[in-house]
Amino acid sequence: MKQALFGLLVKRKLGFGANRAAKRRILFNLLLITLVVSALVFAQIFVVSMSRGIADKYALLGNGHLQVHTTDDVDFSGYENMIDVQKVGQSYALIYSPSANKMVRLKGVQDTYFSELRLAQLTMGEPYLQTESNLPQILLSTTLAATLDVQIGERVALMLVSQSSIRPQLCIVQNFYDSGYQELDANLVFSDYELITRLFQGKEDTYYELLVDGDTLQQTKQTLQADGYAVTSWDEENYAVATNLNTSRQAVLGVMVAVAILCGYFISELSRELVEDDKYKIAMLTLFGATKRLIRQSYFSTVMAVTLLAVLLGTLLGMTLALNLSPLLASIAARSIPSLSYYLLDFSIVIPYLDILTITCVLVVVSILSVMFSLRRVSRIEPISCAHFD
Amino acid sequence: MMKSAEVLRLEQVFKSFPATLRGGPPIQILEGIDLNLERSKSIAITGNSGSGKSTLLQISAGLMQCDSGKIWFEEQDISRLDDDALSQLRSRSMGFIFQSSLLLDDFTALENVQIPAMIAGKSEKQAKQQALEMLSTVGMQDRLHHTSDQLSGGERQRVAIARALVNSPTVIFADEPTGSLDERNASVVEDLLFSLVEQQQVALMLITHNNSFAQRCDIVYHLHDRKVEVSS
Repeated sequence: MKQALFGLLVKRKLGFGANRAAKRRILFNLLLITLVVSALVFAQIFVVSMSRGIADKYALLGNGHLQVHTTDDVDFSGYENMIDVQKVGQSYALIYSPSANKMVRLKGVQDTYFSELRLAQLTMGEPYLQTESNLPQILLSTTLAATLDVQIGERVALMLVSQSSIRPQLCIVQNFYDSGYQELDANLVFSDYELITRLFQGKEDTYYELLVDGDTLQQTKQTLQADGYAVTSWDEENYAVATNLNTSRQAVLGVMVAVAILCGYFISELSRELVEDDKYKIAMLTLFGATKRLIRQSYFSTVMAVTLLAVLLGTLLGMTLALNLSPLLASIAARSIPSLSYYLLDFSIVIPYLDILTITCVLVVVSILSVMFSLRRVSRIEPISCAHFD
Repeated sequence: MMKSAEVLRLEQVFKSFPATLRGGPPIQILEGIDLNLERSKSIAITGNSGSGKSTLLQISAGLMQCDSGKIWFEEQDISRLDDDALSQLRSRSMGFIFQSSLLLDDFTALENVQIPAMIAGKSEKQAKQQALEMLSTVGMQDRLHHTSDQLSGGERQRVAIARALVNSPTVIFADEPTGSLDERNASVVEDLLFSLVEQQQVALMLITHNNSFAQRCDIVYHLHDRKVEVSS
């Protein structure tokens, strides 16, 4: 039966019962494709996870997923998929220490703002607990504190600028926070909501920060807009950052797909090599009456079996490496390497299944096409060729 | 047309090759060859190196096209058959033995004999059974699971004979089957080939330099100056 013959040819080409050289060649190619695929999968998971991590920082600490711009007291409890609602006020001020100054975004939040969800995005030091002073307390990032060269419990001055005057306000540094992403931390200062309203007297920007279930963001936004609210989302508020993250993700995916195409093309080299080495065997098989179609199919199946196994192993390896990355990142973050200071090193791993599927599908489709193309050379091997090896 | 006893008939076969890749007048190799092979008979083709013996064998087996003339095999003009039909014909009715055996080195002796039977459409079990029987016939029953590199030259050639005969072909085409063997092994292979050809009632077309080997055939053709003549 042709099926049994096909099975025997494929099994032997795959190295089962074959000599060491044949086994080594298959294993080498399997290993090479596995490594390339695992690197592609790992890199894509890393980039997507990091960009989502940055987006989460901006959403959770910067502006929330959605912002409802109103000063009225609103009850959002009737809306589905709300995770958290906070009324916040924000404005800008110059912050002064004895040695430096910086323009900062001053964000007034209520006691319930630092929920478990937000605290998970931060590391905080021990707060300043002395209460003799009546000065308001503010929360600085470790990045900003380093710029200003201040410590917990020390005083800084906020220079509040309004249309009619410039007013200083002394504050005490209550604590430091670190979100792990210096771009965000560098100019974000937290204070009490009441302080903002008192200092800016209605000139501050007041809005509700909503955290919603990520999948329902657009739907919730539309519902709120339909109810007459002025709503923006985090990516509209941080347009440059969101666009950069999105462009980076697309660009990296494009590069990964390009590498996958090259890898797919390389796989056809395996089939070319197998056919070149087996010329006399192919000639002999055709001499015995085997059809070229059967021979092409056996080589195609061999190469694709290696490819699919390598893609599967590579994907699993890449995912396993990525899922075990957190301890390594934490250790790198703890070393405070200056060149990595502007990278987010503390983020949750997210598996971008669609991206991985795209990369692996492109690789498999390109390899199918290139292997089929390269196996045309089987048709050029005539049974007479065996005479050349005699 | 063929006579009923004939399995192979060549009529006015001409074959030439281009002199060089850049052209030039073609070199005529075969000129007006008429030859026939009857069922269960054997013919030998002798001649000097480069006289076109192997070309004649390859044309006779449909492996190479001739410039003009007709080749009848089992009452079919094989120059008119397409690739698939020729493949079927080779699988069913032809067996080949080469000077260097050309065993498939990834496969054992048993598998080398089994594969042509499987190509001919036998089930794996049937093909294995036939291969076992054929290898026993050539005295290789103890070397079934050895690969090509684990066999001696004589043993490899015995496996090649078993492989050529496993589908009970009508004609065996043998191109210098003992050419690479020492005298003792060559004699063993010669005896084996002729006894099996006789036993299985197969026609044999043998290419050889060896006169004593050729003399064991029913007819010996000598290829000289592009033409064949019966030499005995």
